[in-house]
Amino acid sequence: MFKEFKVYSVFDLLIEYIKEGKIQLDNTIHTHPAAYHDPCNYGRKSLKAFGQAFFEEGREVARACCPDLRELNPNRNEAYCCGAGGGAWAMPFSDERVFYGRTKARQISESGAELIVAPCHNCRDQIMKSLNKEYDLGIEVKYLWELVSDSLIMPNKQ
Amino acid sequence: MMYEFRVSEMAEEFGVHRNTIRNWIAAGTLPAKEGPGRKYLMKFHDYQVLCEKFGREPVIHPSNHVELASIQSMEASAEQMPPMVLEGHHSELAVDPNWADACLTCGTCASACPIAGVDGLDPRKIVRMAVLGMDKELIESQWPWKCTMCGKCEVSCPANIQIVALMRKIRGNRERDKVPGPIHKGVVMCLERGNNLGIPKDDFVYLCEELGEELAADSCPGFVTPVDVHGARVLVTVNSKEPFAEPDDMKYWWKIFYAAGESWTIPSENWEGVNWGLFSGDDAAMKVVVGRIVDNMRRLNCKVLLLPE
Repeated sequence: MFKEFKVYSVFDLLIEYIKEGKIQLDNTIHTHPAAYHDPCNYGRKSLKAFGQAFFEEGREVARACCPDLRELNPNRNEAYCCGAGGGAWAMPFSDERVFYGRTKARQISESGAELIVAPCHNCRDQIMKSLNKEYDLGIEVKYLWELVSDSLIMPNKQ
Repeated sequence: MMYEFRVSEMAEEFGVHRNTIRNWIAAGTLPAKEGPGRKYLMKFHDYQVLCEKFGREPVIHPSNHVELASIQSMEASAEQMPPMVLEGHHSELAVDPNWADACLTCGTCASACPIAGVDGLDPRKIVRMAVLGMDKELIESQWPWKCTMCGKCEVSCPANIQIVALMRKIRGNRERDKVPGPIHKGVVMCLERGNNLGIPKDDFVYLCEELGEELAADSCPGFVTPVDVHGARVLVTVNSKEPFAEPDDMKYWWKIFYAAGESWTIPSENWEGVNWGLFSGDDAAMKVVVGRIVDNMRRLNCKVLLLPE
C-alpha cells in the first residue's frame, strides 16, 4: 500500500499469524453458537473508500476459534449498523442509538448465537453494553482479538 | 376519494337550478371537473364542505371517510409550517452534483435507513434540503449527528448519491463548540495532549509497565511491555478508552504478540489510534493526528503499523 511501511488492520496481522503458524488456536473452548458482526467501517465503508472490504477475514479468524459460527442476516455489504457508529456511541442521543440498534438486536436473537464476535471497539461496546441489556439478549460479546487471545494454545516458553 | 354526480342530481339536492350548478363549476366556486358519461367529479372533502355550507347532510356516507368535523378540529390545532422562501442559491455543502442534485427522490435511502422517521430524520429529506440550498437549516439540525454514517442509504441508492460524504460535510460545517457530545473536545484534547482523553505520558507508561507485570505473572512468563523500542517490527496504536477505563483489555493483543513471538512496541506519546476528526468532520485535525503516527513510525523505525480498529 505504502512504500515506506505497511499499514495493517487487525485482520491482516491475525491472519498472518494463523497462516504462518505463529499462533495455535484451540477451537474447543468456544463451542456455543457464535456469530460474526460486520462493522460498517471494515466492510461497506472500507470497500467504498479503499476498494477493499474485510468481509471474509474476520470470519476466517472467528471460525478458527468457534466451530459453530453463524451468520447475521443480512450481512457483509448489506449488514446493518450496530447503531453506535459515526461517533454515536459518545453522542448524547442515547434513545436514538438504542432504537437504531433494534435491527441488530433482532438479527442476533434470530441467529441463535450466544457469542457475538466484533472486530470494532465501537460495535462491541454498543452490542455488549447497550443492546444486550436493552433487548435482553443474554449474549456474550468479544473483540475478535479477545476471542483469539482466549483461544491461544500458549507456547512452552521459559 | 372522489364524489361523482350529475348536474341534475346536484341541483335537486341543493334546491337550485341546473344552470346555477353549471355556473358554479364554470366559475370554480364548485371545484369539480367533467368525468365520464355526462357526470362530474369532485373531491369528497369538497362535497362535505358544500353540504356544510348549505346545512345539509351528505346524501352518502362512505365508510372509509372521516367526518368533516373531526378533520376540522385537527386542522385548527395543527401548527402550520410557515411559508419558506427559496432564494435560488445553491448549496455550499453539496460540492458535486453527485452529492445531491442527481437525486431521483425515489426514497430508497429512507427505506434503507434504520433511523429514518426518528425525530423527522430522513436521508432523502437531507439530500433535498441540500438541493434547495438550505445549508443553514442542515448545519443547525441534529440529524447528521444521529445518523451513524453507516452507508446503508448510499449502497441502496440507484443514483449513487454520496449521502455519507454530504452528511460528514454538514457535520464539519457546524461551529466547533456546537458539536454534540465529547467528539470535538476529544479532538482538541488529542491535538493538545496526544490522546483523546488527555492521559499524561507518565501515567500511560506506568500503566503499561504494571499491566505487563500482571501478564507476565498470569500467563506470559518473562513478558515486559515494549514501550518505545527502536527497530521493532510492529508499532501498535491504542484506543484511549482502554488505558482510561478498561486497561485489562489491552492484554488481549499483548498475549497474542507474546505467543507469536512478535517484535512490537507501543509509543510513549501520540499513541492514540482513534481519530475522532473522522466523525466530527475535521480534516485538518485528522491530518495532524495521522502525521504524528507517521512520525512515530519513523522515529522508532518500525515496518508495520497496526491500527486497533
